[in-house]
Amino acid sequence: MQLNENRFHFQLDLISILSIWEVHFILLKTKDLNVGYDDTLVVKGLNIEISEHKITAIIGANGSGKSTLLKALTRIIPYNSGEIILDGQNINSTDTRELAKKISILPQTQEMATGMTVGELVSYGRFPYQSGLGRLTKKDYEVINWALEVTGTDEFKYRSVDALSGGQRQRVWIAMALAQETDTIFLDEPTTYLDLAHQLEVLKLLDDLNKRQGRTIIMVLHDLNQAARFADYIIAMKDGKVVKAGDPEEVISASVLKEIFNIDALIGRDPITDKPMCVTYNIINGGDKDEKNYNNYADTASGF
Amino acid sequence: MIHPETIKRQRLIIFILVFLILATVIFSLGLGTSQLSFSRIIPVLLGQGNFNENFVLFSIRLPRLVITLLAGMALALSGSILQGLSRNDLADPGIIGINSGAGFAVALFFLYFPLQVGSFIYLLPLVAFAGALITAILIYFFSYDRNSGLKPIKLILVGVGFSTALSGAMMVLISSADRSKVEFISRWLAGDIWGTDWPFVLALLPWLLILLPAALYMSNRLNILALGNSIAVGVGMRVEKEQAILLAIAVGLAAASVSVTGGIAFVGLMAPHIAKTLIGKRHQLFMPIAILIGGWLLLLADTIGRNIFQPQGVAAGIMVAVIGAPYFIYLLTQN
Repeated sequence: MQLNENRFHFQLDLISILSIWEVHFILLKTKDLNVGYDDTLVVKGLNIEISEHKITAIIGANGSGKSTLLKALTRIIPYNSGEIILDGQNINSTDTRELAKKISILPQTQEMATGMTVGELVSYGRFPYQSGLGRLTKKDYEVINWALEVTGTDEFKYRSVDALSGGQRQRVWIAMALAQETDTIFLDEPTTYLDLAHQLEVLKLLDDLNKRQGRTIIMVLHDLNQAARFADYIIAMKDGKVVKAGDPEEVISASVLKEIFNIDALIGRDPITDKPMCVTYNIINGGDKDEKNYNNYADTASGF
Repeated sequence: MIHPETIKRQRLIIFILVFLILATVIFSLGLGTSQLSFSRIIPVLLGQGNFNENFVLFSIRLPRLVITLLAGMALALSGSILQGLSRNDLADPGIIGINSGAGFAVALFFLYFPLQVGSFIYLLPLVAFAGALITAILIYFFSYDRNSGLKPIKLILVGVGFSTALSGAMMVLISSADRSKVEFISRWLAGDIWGTDWPFVLALLPWLLILLPAALYMSNRLNILALGNSIAVGVGMRVEKEQAILLAIAVGLAAASVSVTGGIAFVGLMAPHIAKTLIGKRHQLFMPIAILIGGWLLLLADTIGRNIFQPQGVAAGIMVAVIGAPYFIYLLTQN
C-alpha cells in the first residue's frame, strides 16, 4: 500500500516536471542535411528539431535556403545527403501516399487552379485516401465540408476559385490541406501577396488550428514580427545554416537579426501581445549613419 | 464537388454529339464517287444489298469511316492528356514528335527499303508507329531533369525542337527522291486517311479499347497534376510515375492513329479546346466530350474532303486544318 502510494506520487512529480520543462515529442528532425540544385548547396549540414503540436517559423533573408529547406522536408525536392526523420522514420523510406496522410503542404505559388470550384479543389485533399477513380465517399464529403466550415469558405463551395480574393483563396488552400487530415501542415510564406488584414486572418486561422486541434504548423515566414507573434519556436537561417533556433525571445534579438539580415535592428515589445518585435532597423553597411529617429521610436514603443 | 447542373450539362452535350456523329455517319455512307443512294443504306446495312452495293458500303466506305472515327477519338484524347501534362492549352500530339517522328520514319522506309507493294502496305503502320514511339521516348529523356523531374515547359521546347529538326531532315530525304514517291509521302504527311481496310481497323481498335478506359480512369490524376508538382506531391501522388504512364498512353493513342491515317495535326489541339470551352477544365468532364468531338470532327472533315474536288479529294488532315484555323482565330480574338 505504502509502496503504491509512493509510486503514485513519483508519477505525478514526473508529469509536473515534464510540463514545467516543456518536454515535447520531437516530430521532425534533420541530421547533417544537405540540399542543393545542380552543384551548389543551398542547405548545408543542417541539424534541426521540430516539436509536435507547436507552431514553428523558419525565417531568413532571400536566398538563405528557407524555402528550399521546406521543400526538402516535404519531399517536394530530393536532398543530396543527410537524413530527414519524421515520426521516427526516414521520409525517403516512407511511402509518399502514407506520408500525405501525415503531412500536408501549402506551396508558395498556386496560380494553377483556374476554372475549378472551391469544393472541387478542397476535395483533392482527399487523394491519399482514395482509390482509382477518385469517387468521394460519405466520409470524404464529411471531411471536405468540415474543412470548408473551419476555414469559413463553405459559402463559396460552388464558386470558381478565380473569383475569390487573395485572402479567401489562401483559406481555400488551407482547407484543402485540412481535408488531407494531417496532424502537420507545412506552409511556404502563407501571407505573401495578402494585405495586412488578410495576412492576420490567415495567421489567426493557423493559430486556431494549432491551439484548438493541436496541429503542428511549420511555416516559412517573411515577416519577423508575425513570426515572433505566432510562433512558439523560430529557426533563423543564413546561407543554408541555422544561425539561431529557439523561442521568439531568444531569436528576435539585435545580434541575431544583425547576423541574418545584416541590419541594425531595434527590438521592442508588441504592446498588445507582449512579444518581442523589431521596431525599426537600418542597414549596417552603407545605411544612413545619421539616422536620428532611433531613440524616438524606442520611446514610442515602450511608452504604450 | 461539382455542381449537379454541370454534370447534367455534360450528359446533354454527350447526347448531342452522339446524335451528330450518327447523322454524319449516315450522311457519309451515302456520299461518294460510286452510286449508292441514301434510301439504300439501311437495307444494305441489314444485308439486303446486291454485290455492288455491299462492296461499296462494307469494303470501301465503312472501314474508312470507322478508321476516321477511331483515329479522331484517339488523337483528341491524346491531345487532352498532353495539354494536361504540359499545362499548356496549345499542346497536341505534334509536340511530342508523333507526326514528325512517324513522318520521318515513313519517308525513310518508303525511300530506302525496296519492298513488294503487298507487304509494304501492312508494314507501313508499324514503321510509323516505331518512328513516333522512338521520337517520343527521345523527347522524354531530353526533357527529363534529375532534380525536378519532367518539366512541362522543357517538354514543349524539346518537342518543338525535335519536330522541327525531323521535318528538316525529312525535306532533305524527299528532295533527293523521285517524284512519284514524293507524292505518296506528301499525301501521307497531309493526313490523307490511307489505311482504309478492315485490317487497319483491327490494328487501331485494340489500342483504343485498352487506352481509352485507362485514360478516363486517370482523369482525376490529371486534374491534380494540373495544380503543379508541389501540390501533386503534397497529396501523395507519385508524380513521375503517373506522368510517365500518362505520357505513354498519349503516345500510344496518337502513334496508333497517325500510323494508319497519316499526319493529322489539328484534331488533338482543337477537340480538347472546344470541349474545355463547353464544360470547363475538369478532365473527367471534358475528356469524354473531347473524344466525341475529335471523332466527329475528323469524320466530318474526311467526308467533306473526300467529296469535293473529285476524284482524289482533299486530305482529311488539310480539311481539319481548314475547319480548325478559323475557329482558332475566333478563339484568339475572344481572349
